[in-house]
Amino acid sequence: MLVDYSVAAREGQQITIEAPSLAAPLVREVYRRILAAGAHPLPRIGIEGMLENLMLEGSDAQLDWVNPARRDDIEEVDGRVVIMAPLNTRSLTRVDASKQARLHRALEPQRNRYLERAANGELRWVLTLFPTQAAAQDAGMSLPEFEDFVYAAGFLDRDDPVAEWKRFGERLDGVEAFLSGISELRVLAEDTDLRVGVGGRTWIGSRGLENFPDGEIFTGPVETSVEGTIRFTYPAIFHGREIDDVRLRFEGGEVVEATAARGEDLLREMVAVDEGARRVGEFAFGLNEAVTAFTREILFDEKIGGTVHLALGTAYPETGSSNRSALHWDLICDLRDGGEVYADGELAYRDGAFVVL
Amino acid sequence: MNDPRLARLATLLVDYSLRLREGEVVRVNSSDAAAPLILAIQRVAIERGVHAYANVALEGLAEILVSEGSREQREFVSDLAYREVDRLDAEITIWSEANTKSFSRADPEARGQVYAAERSLVNRRWQRIGRGEMRWVGTLMPTNAHAQDAEMSLLEYEDFVFRACHVDGDQDPLAHWRAAAEELTARAAEFADAREVRIVGPDTDLRLGVAGRTWQPSYGTHNMPDGEVFTSPVETETEGEIRFTLPAVFYGREVEDIRLRFEGGRVVDADARSGADYLRTLLDTDDGARVLGEFAFGLNYEIDRWTRNILFDEKIGGTVHLALGSGFDDCGSKNESALHWDIICDLREEGEIYADGELVWRAGRFLEAPKPAVERV
Repeated sequence: MLVDYSVAAREGQQITIEAPSLAAPLVREVYRRILAAGAHPLPRIGIEGMLENLMLEGSDAQLDWVNPARRDDIEEVDGRVVIMAPLNTRSLTRVDASKQARLHRALEPQRNRYLERAANGELRWVLTLFPTQAAAQDAGMSLPEFEDFVYAAGFLDRDDPVAEWKRFGERLDGVEAFLSGISELRVLAEDTDLRVGVGGRTWIGSRGLENFPDGEIFTGPVETSVEGTIRFTYPAIFHGREIDDVRLRFEGGEVVEATAARGEDLLREMVAVDEGARRVGEFAFGLNEAVTAFTREILFDEKIGGTVHLALGTAYPETGSSNRSALHWDLICDLRDGGEVYADGELAYRDGAFVVL
Repeated sequence: MNDPRLARLATLLVDYSLRLREGEVVRVNSSDAAAPLILAIQRVAIERGVHAYANVALEGLAEILVSEGSREQREFVSDLAYREVDRLDAEITIWSEANTKSFSRADPEARGQVYAAERSLVNRRWQRIGRGEMRWVGTLMPTNAHAQDAEMSLLEYEDFVFRACHVDGDQDPLAHWRAAAEELTARAAEFADAREVRIVGPDTDLRLGVAGRTWQPSYGTHNMPDGEVFTSPVETETEGEIRFTLPAVFYGREVEDIRLRFEGGRVVDADARSGADYLRTLLDTDDGARVLGEFAFGLNYEIDRWTRNILFDEKIGGTVHLALGSGFDDCGSKNESALHWDIICDLREEGEIYADGELVWRAGRFLEAPKPAVERV
């Protein structure tokens, strides 16, 4: 799926495999498939603990340093398969938020550049997760249970996963067609009444190409349009640290009030990273019904069927949004129990499903 | 795993072998098995203001490339890889294998294509080192695979490796290696004017011409552990015979009890108790394969046994080694060959070495400490 469908590796292409050593079994299979496609696999294997060392002990100059070899990768490769495989999802808990923010700022041009190349059709990338004990533990599951969950979420338990994802894509096309004609969405739920301007923006259905598993439809809202309040039902997670019960109030597209039951300091620091971090770079509906449980891993959580999420910070340029930031932080709001979304004043979505389609 | 010896080894590599300075970029090449040493190196590098990152070869990928890649894929070297090497100030290679026999059953031709691609990157590094643009050091992180080859438990092998690097005790490793550098430099200087080296031992009486050749000390800046003094003999002057009591290893294959006879610099007779055919095949590699490219004294007396790993074996204190094949330009060698095969001759039990007729070495030891270089003037 990752090599043939998501990045569609072709003869002679250079494809990086970016993964920690814990993902070795999956890295080997991806490497094999890339060879079978006639392309050149370029493994970029990380060692658990190096990022922690850097963040705990690194000087500003070291946090700001961007490896030019990796910058070259971003400029030249035809595809990237990025695999997460956490050994301990809390290994960065002790790190200063300002150091994390600094490292993120340093990597921002690189991130923006690969998104730009992807938007121009010059590079294909996919992000996935190899199930580990740490990820299973965060999801409150045993490793075998979590493996079943991960593979079901990717439709890998079905006879023909590629066909399933193509079918899913057709369903997304229907949602996309509907949302494309809408200029304002209003989200109503407990302690939530948020208006998001989406007129003229492009909706993109995620069908397993850039994330795996996948299943969402997103856009970049009009930068100055977001108004009102939203309360996020799931904890917001940033590098292993949880912020509970986040509530945001927006005026003219900017966060003007941010509170949380726990972790409010971190929340404020994140929002203050830079100018763009106060604005919404993404608004999306989670549409994968095989993803039902909250796992503390955004790759899955943002696709939970029946939720919406918004991201503070940088936008995907292909949506038409110009918001840029070192931050891209997804926050999820569950609408399965009584939530509603109005599209240009008409009820379009209730209790976690579209009612107009 | 938080073995304090790893932290000391890391400090030795960063501060002594490579002398890394603030703002420099160092890449650590290794496999995932070396993670504890990679992290220890990174911690020291961070303290020094150095930018350190890892280049990790995941176990199994090279085997997959050899067995499943096309020829074009096996020979492919990305331009990205060349440019990456061009940007480095220094590089550390940590040999650390989970299985030293991973390639024994691979198709030799396919394996050769992958090696050739890797070699083109290594050559690029050596060109830059030669121009003084970067530094490099190679070391080893103990694994069960290396311990098994050395016929030790992992714990015993760790003790052996860290003792050989002098990072195992209370002594300051940097002070040890600085002293070793002085001693080995002085020893190399003593041989600068020698015209002939004669090795005498059981079934051995070999004369090597070394007039005009440069002797090099090797004290931990390219290898850790280290401890040898070497040169490249005059190509046409090697005469006599030598018997090697330790097995010689080439790409995982062993040849035991080798006997060689030289005339006019060339091997004219070669025999071995086992692997004689392989020995003759290697000697027929090309024209230069029958000529010596290196003669060296092993002078690390913490390395007291043979372990099937040339990083250690060539430095066993009390041995000498000869290499058949290519010599070193900076020693004055003109011998060229695709082969460079180190064969170790154990002189610890009995054995004598004469320099221009004077006995200088007996039973694995020089008779006198080298005179400090300043007094020789």
